[in-house]
Amino acid sequence: MKNWIKVVLIIIVVCILTGGVVAYRIYTKPHRDVSQEKGVSLTAQKLCDAFRANEGEANKLYLDKAIEMTGEVAEVTTNQDGNTVVNCKTNDPLFVINCTFKTNPGQLKAGQIITFKGICTGYIPDANVVINEGVLVK
Amino acid sequence: MKLFLSVIFSVFFLSQLNAQKIYATRNGKVSFEAPSDEDVKAVNNEVTSRMADNGQVTFSLLIKGFRFKLAEMQEHFNDQYLESTKFPRADFKGNIVNLNEVNFSKDGTYKISVKGDLTMHGVTKNVTVTGTLEIKEGKPSANAKFTILMKDYNVSAGSVTDKVMAELSCQYQ
Repeated sequence: MKNWIKVVLIIIVVCILTGGVVAYRIYTKPHRDVSQEKGVSLTAQKLCDAFRANEGEANKLYLDKAIEMTGEVAEVTTNQDGNTVVNCKTNDPLFVINCTFKTNPGQLKAGQIITFKGICTGYIPDANVVINEGVLVK
Repeated sequence: MKLFLSVIFSVFFLSQLNAQKIYATRNGKVSFEAPSDEDVKAVNNEVTSRMADNGQVTFSLLIKGFRFKLAEMQEHFNDQYLESTKFPRADFKGNIVNLNEVNFSKDGTYKISVKGDLTMHGVTKNVTVTGTLEIKEGKPSANAKFTILMKDYNVSAGSVTDKVMAELSCQYQ
């Protein structure tokens, strides 16, 4: 076999392998695991106040960040896909921190103080701050 | 007599004011998928919505709340296509057009048409969506399917898809 054919074949094989590895990496890249991250520690009230005072600034501080939040449980529900949702109280009865748990936090009751980690996805005016991917700390 | 009438009138008037009922949820669901690529599929379970029996409806959701099967795709969706750090939220505000065909106090399934403004990626469009409203034990749930064209909202995802089919499901309290 001529040398240049060998070279071309090797190049083609290398390209296919690289392509395969890249595709494999993309398909198997793990989702973010918030339990492995160090979260910003704060209370439900502080998170609420920050967004209500200035949404833009609060987004810079908290949006897409790992949050370790402590708050009082107002209500526990289940979403349409079976995940536990905990609404945490603020000083406004109509405004809550809405937290969807990734792992089952077990039995929680209204009035209980909990600390959990999650990712803050943002603020919905007059309604709630949303945290998802929640994992109970204590 | 005058006083009596005015009392009767104000009681009647106040009861009319109280008659407006607002239903709400913080955990409605919106999902979408691209017709051309089955991997382009995402779900958001944190849709805040309010519906009043006078026909007003609002929906708000956070773009970063959409979860994809592929983490890589979720990143592209947020960073390149929807630019969710710059435009974190999508909002809809509108009205049930055929409110006269809906009876909030009678159980049943009603076909509804909702017209209003949808804002996302910094662009506001007037849209009309048809769906169903089911009243069960006095509580409504809404379901709708609709198509979103990427170019309508200046989303340049041309290499992936030019439209997505979205599905909404909200159970109100």
